[in-house]
Amino acid sequence: MPGGAHFYMSSFRTFFLFPFFLFPLLGIGQNCTLKIQGKLTDEGTGIPMAYATVYVEEVQAGVAADSSGNYSIPNLCASSYHIQYRHIGCEAKTIFVDLRKDTTINVRMHHHDELVDEVVIHEAHDDHGAQASVSIQKEQISEIANKDLSEMLESMTGVSAIKTGAGISKPVIHGLSGNRVTILNNGIAQSGQQWGNDHAPEIDPYVADHLSVIKGAGALAYMGSSLGGVVLVEPADIGNDPHLHGDVNYIFQTNGLGHTVNAKLEKHDKWAAWRISGTAKVFGDHTAPSYYLTNTGKREFNGALQLEKKFSSKWNMKLYYSEFFTEIGVLRGSHIGNLTDLEQAIGRDEPFFTEDHFSYSINAPKQQVQHHLLKLESNHIFNEHQSLHIRYGGQLNNRKEFDIRRGERTDIPALSLSQWDQFGEVLYRHFFDHGSRLKTGAQFKFVDNTNNPETGILPLIPDYRSYQTAAFAIYQKEEKRAFYEFGARYDFTHLQAVTISSSLPRKIERFDHNFHNYSLSAGFRYELLRNLKLNFDAGHVLRSPQVNELYSQGLHQGVAGIEEGNRNLKNERSIKTVLSLDWNVKNKLFVQALGYYQYIKNFIYLQPEDEFRLTIRGAFPLFTYNQTDATIAGADLLVSYEPIESIRLLAKYSFLQGDDISNEQPLVYMPSNNLFGSFSYSIKDGEKRKNTSVSVNGRYVFKQTNLNADQDLLPPPNGYFLLGASAGMSFKLKKATLRLSLNGENLLNTRYRDYLNRQRYFADDLGWNLSVRTNVTF
Amino acid sequence: MKNTLKLLWALPLFAIISLTSCDKNDPEIPNEEELITTLIYTLTPEGGGNAVEFRFTDLDGDGGDAPVITNGTLAANTTYSGVITLLNETETPAEVISEEVEEEAEEHQFFYQFSNQSFSGGFDYADADGNGNPVGLLTTFATGTPLTTMLTITLRHEPNKTASGVSDGDITNAGGETDIEVTFDVTIQ
Repeated sequence: MPGGAHFYMSSFRTFFLFPFFLFPLLGIGQNCTLKIQGKLTDEGTGIPMAYATVYVEEVQAGVAADSSGNYSIPNLCASSYHIQYRHIGCEAKTIFVDLRKDTTINVRMHHHDELVDEVVIHEAHDDHGAQASVSIQKEQISEIANKDLSEMLESMTGVSAIKTGAGISKPVIHGLSGNRVTILNNGIAQSGQQWGNDHAPEIDPYVADHLSVIKGAGALAYMGSSLGGVVLVEPADIGNDPHLHGDVNYIFQTNGLGHTVNAKLEKHDKWAAWRISGTAKVFGDHTAPSYYLTNTGKREFNGALQLEKKFSSKWNMKLYYSEFFTEIGVLRGSHIGNLTDLEQAIGRDEPFFTEDHFSYSINAPKQQVQHHLLKLESNHIFNEHQSLHIRYGGQLNNRKEFDIRRGERTDIPALSLSQWDQFGEVLYRHFFDHGSRLKTGAQFKFVDNTNNPETGILPLIPDYRSYQTAAFAIYQKEEKRAFYEFGARYDFTHLQAVTISSSLPRKIERFDHNFHNYSLSAGFRYELLRNLKLNFDAGHVLRSPQVNELYSQGLHQGVAGIEEGNRNLKNERSIKTVLSLDWNVKNKLFVQALGYYQYIKNFIYLQPEDEFRLTIRGAFPLFTYNQTDATIAGADLLVSYEPIESIRLLAKYSFLQGDDISNEQPLVYMPSNNLFGSFSYSIKDGEKRKNTSVSVNGRYVFKQTNLNADQDLLPPPNGYFLLGASAGMSFKLKKATLRLSLNGENLLNTRYRDYLNRQRYFADDLGWNLSVRTNVTF
Repeated sequence: MKNTLKLLWALPLFAIISLTSCDKNDPEIPNEEELITTLIYTLTPEGGGNAVEFRFTDLDGDGGDAPVITNGTLAANTTYSGVITLLNETETPAEVISEEVEEEAEEHQFFYQFSNQSFSGGFDYADADGNGNPVGLLTTFATGTPLTTMLTITLRHEPNKTASGVSDGDITNAGGETDIEVTFDVTIQ
């Protein structure tokens, strides 16, 4: 029986009686009596990974786990080993161990990724407690590294994306986005021009080992607004492996003839543990089913450096730096000058300025964004019970947007903003003996936003500075089958805006605002039965109006409207309750059901006024920021069924309804209800061939019917169905793993328009696309 | 080693202190050299007489105060030659933007639309760009019988001048972006 791959077949019958463990040479003359043992469980469900294989690279031999996921490798020497854990349908996991004594290694595999929630993952870190959340893991991120962050998040139930054409997307969590959603990159709240619907988060998801979304109401440990939810982008710790490891990823996609290259290297050197990663993306014009989407190309160049230094068992420091640069073309045919243009551009068979050929060139209208993030962290562990964490984050964001302009001014940005952001926090954690813990902290944030006068245009949002100080405390307690959490947070914000008057003579005016926000949350988790878990959380969260809501002044070209801020806006006040249920039927059927209800008092929205503003470019409708009372209610449902180990059926459904209860009308830009289903088949590993699977999926997006005719320029587009398919296969090379995969989207080349894509007025959405991926991990 | 690392913290601290210690500076008011504040359509009767001036002025740009519009009265059965002047009057002396349009004539075209269907006069472009297509800075306007009508003057940037009807002054297939769209009340008596 050559090779290690067949061993586990035999140990089905017995466990450990047949430990095909062959140490022909190493055992002789050394003290080779050490043992590694542990348990393999699925991260999503906690179910033991029966008959998973455990393979020791250095000795080229392995064992199989028993039916309870337990494994034991005897007769190891005092040496270092790379241990590889495999199970059908999961990406292999390699752990490095420098063995000096008998060691227990418990491993969590990603078998039911679709079921992973942060409550399970982070129990040890107590980060999100009883908040309902979902996540995406490293292997999936790398598999679709040609996508944006928001497009990746979109695969989770309850999460959608608001888009501007093919290249710009922003996450929407349970109907809320933009200023109401905080994105934490490495624990630092992403800072930039987040107010714009067409301003995508400046984050390369490839740096992350997992992405998660907290849908619950009270993620109170974070700066920024958690009123609509929190997105976490988290790279994993580098680990202790003294050898160089990494991966290289290349994806080609047919739509837009796009190339994506990622590379990552990491090593635990004596001086420090380090990881570097980089991404380059070059896309040309994307295509709709029947025409080119002229000027929708994209370039992106990102890099990141991560350093970790452990000075003692009680003190370690971490440094993270990332740079993000992007240039994105905006569909030429969606650029309009006034309302007449808009009416003409709407509802055309083919957008204006559609070229009959493909091009990689990016012309105006376009966006250029650069983002730098530096994080420094120092962790002090005093004893088993107490620890202190100090963190600093600095960000610089430069955004330039170019329009088609007269007199050779197209190369001068029409919008040019620079933002500096400084953040500091001190966290203290205390673990009490009786199973409870306290996490408390103080935070400070400073934002400095400046319009660069190079534009020759009055700025849309003013220059401003904001100072925010906050303190919070979260208490958690775990009892046998129950888990409780209580949190409180207080934020004080001082905003200093410096505006230029819209009437003549231009004068500079200064305005100061102070906002007090407090938030409270409570969460409760209870295991009703061994296979039935109940999760409930409720939160009361305030959000202060942001500078665009207070001071916007000017023409919003994309929608041909004049937007005016409102200096008298008050805090938004939200109460959200989330109830979720996890049910495991005989380890074959898994059901996750989540229902939520959110009430928002003083909900800030753009109100179309009856008035038109006459300008030299014609009359424009006027929109002002206003407040109302709103409710959002919905449900997310996920069912995963595994009749036999190699087959998995998955179904997801999201339902949402948002209403403005004061004016008795629906809320605009609420995601449509949608249904997703997939069938996947995994093939048993061969000697060299691993982790082979094929899958087919379908997604149906319903028409948004909860909208009045007078609330939009066009009625919401019809519902649509998209067919997708994917296949992947890994090959074990000598010291590396090669993975090849294919991913097809919109395979029927369906013509469709999506309600949340702001370019739906002008053009069809994307046609079919096939991505081919090659990945080498070593 | 440890002490030097602790000094690392001085850096962000210094950054915070230095950036937060004073008020936000006054912003530089951008030089709005591209702004068109004023459109003047001057109609001079052929064979002499007083010129009539239609004027649209919005000094503070989008938003702010409402624009000021001056309409005019024309004589019936008279042929006028029309000239468009675009100004940026926020500059002193006022900048003549129509010169920019003239320089980029191929990328611009004015369109003139009459609301009153019984307008019986004649209207023609009196200029051409490098490709022989009209620009519309210069026009000929024959008034015809007395009536009142609205006249909408539109300036399109990057229109498709070769599309059907566009060079005859039909805006329907022109495309491009609107830089100007103003409407005057015209009385022909």
